[in-house]
Amino acid sequence: MTWHVAEEDLRAYLRGDLAPPLLWSADTHLTACAGCRALLADLSDPVALDTGWERLDAELDAPRRGVFEGLLVRCGVADHSARLLAATPVLRRSWMLAVVFVLAMTVLMVRLADNPGLFLGLAPLLPLAGVALSYGPVLDPTYEMAVVAPLHGFRLLMLRTVAVLGAGLVLNGLATLALPAYGLRALAWLLPALALTATGLALTPRLGPVLGPALVGTAWTALLLIARARAHGTPAPFTAGGQLAAALVAAAAVWLLIRLRDRFDSTSAHTPFAGFTHGSAA
Amino acid sequence: MTVTVSASGLTLRYGGTRALDDVSLSLRAGVTGLLGPNGAGKTTLLRVLATAVPADGGSFTVLGHAPGSAAGRQNLRRTLGYLPQNPGFHPDFSAFEFVDYVAILKEQTDRTARHREVRRVLDAVDLSDVRGRRLKRLSGGMRQRVALAAALVGEPGFLVLDEPTVGLDPEQRVRFRELIAQAGEGRTVLLSTHQTEDVAMLCHRVIVLACGRVRFEGTPAELTARADGRVWSSAARDPGARAGWRTGAGTFRNVGDPPKGAELLDPTLEDGYLLTLDDPDGAAPAQQGEAAA
Repeated sequence: MTWHVAEEDLRAYLRGDLAPPLLWSADTHLTACAGCRALLADLSDPVALDTGWERLDAELDAPRRGVFEGLLVRCGVADHSARLLAATPVLRRSWMLAVVFVLAMTVLMVRLADNPGLFLGLAPLLPLAGVALSYGPVLDPTYEMAVVAPLHGFRLLMLRTVAVLGAGLVLNGLATLALPAYGLRALAWLLPALALTATGLALTPRLGPVLGPALVGTAWTALLLIARARAHGTPAPFTAGGQLAAALVAAAAVWLLIRLRDRFDSTSAHTPFAGFTHGSAA
Repeated sequence: MTVTVSASGLTLRYGGTRALDDVSLSLRAGVTGLLGPNGAGKTTLLRVLATAVPADGGSFTVLGHAPGSAAGRQNLRRTLGYLPQNPGFHPDFSAFEFVDYVAILKEQTDRTARHREVRRVLDAVDLSDVRGRRLKRLSGGMRQRVALAAALVGEPGFLVLDEPTVGLDPEQRVRFRELIAQAGEGRTVLLSTHQTEDVAMLCHRVIVLACGRVRFEGTPAELTARADGRVWSSAARDPGARAGWRTGAGTFRNVGDPPKGAELLDPTLEDGYLLTLDDPDGAAPAQQGEAAA
């Protein structure tokens, strides 16, 4: 070993002033060099030294972040928020691959049939399903622990919603790029997607995390079938009037969602867990 | 001893059934056992006290915090450690990552302090050596200890444990008992279990719940005393006994109302529990238990 930490740097290390990458070099070197550790001990008071070792120990002990979590931290997301997002069930690779597969098949069918209706009808449902499944007992195995935690349920829901909605919109956007022949018309899924997602969430405190979004998805499908049966041209939800209506629904649902934010951890209609133990018949 | 958790008239209907029926209780520091048959309402009671499910009626406080308002509920949750009956895990998380995740849910945002706390609780349940191992690679007993570690994050004043020893082998169960006993030092622990042995060895108080109602509240000795003079031995199963089974010695142990001249045996906590479940006067047994003290 030819390199040792300079005394001046050791003093900065003790004060906590040594910045990366020199800090990392010093940490690594000190674990292996008894001489530098002895010099560090001479320069320091025992309390500060214990604190430094504790910090080093904690760093060595900390788990390596996964790819997704590491990416979030590099993008400026706080470490604790990144961990919460990494636990979001639908951000798992299997879900993402399923969404990509569905979108790829849909784009292929649109190209074969030369009609974007299927894509425009399906694309808003994917973010709705993703958000619905990211907070609730269906896919989140730690839901019961999360419900009784002091972290507000609405904050956790919004964190996950932003992440899942963002990922879903990006995938939908990529699929839109694969349909250049339809121009801006291929983007007519965006406002309905926001409207469906916000409405599904706004109904969650009243109807629960499964029934609320499921009803919204069913209503959207019914609306499309009715619109298609009544008109031979562009279905109403994808006309200018339909888009305006979707924007208004999205705004109203967001307003309602904010008003109901405290209900996300207190509503009695919210049935979070299956399998209650039953007592006597009433 | 000061009452730390008190509940009055808790009621919860679920569909057409009454899962909790006017449940009142008070807990103090130390481990209190919650005994009852399947469907007695134990898990429902624990979920209500853990604020996972709101009650239809009644009230309760935990360390002075009532869950009626959003602020009160949040303050209550800050004092709470909860180990659900079927704790879920993100299987790809390591033990450290999982406990770290729960620590974040418990509002521990400072990374250094949080990691120190994660290491402390993993040390407390003796899992430091496997903290980097994926949860899906840990045994059931180890995963249960990880869940206990998660419940211990933040040194909660009220620890709610829902059947933590189910599915563990005898050695793991003994290890878990040691951990629960340690956890009960200086804090209030409510332990739901089917194992009367757990209660006999760990608990300073016991509550028996049946059909959503409290049938007994008192000490384990008081519950055992309910079977004084009501356990006897016979060569064949006594048809008049409420319960009877052949022992390893080949004789029958009977519980109920013994015939004259029966060879009486020392009762166990399980005998007292069985008789309490059968007690037709179960509506107001808490006072009976207290009166026997």
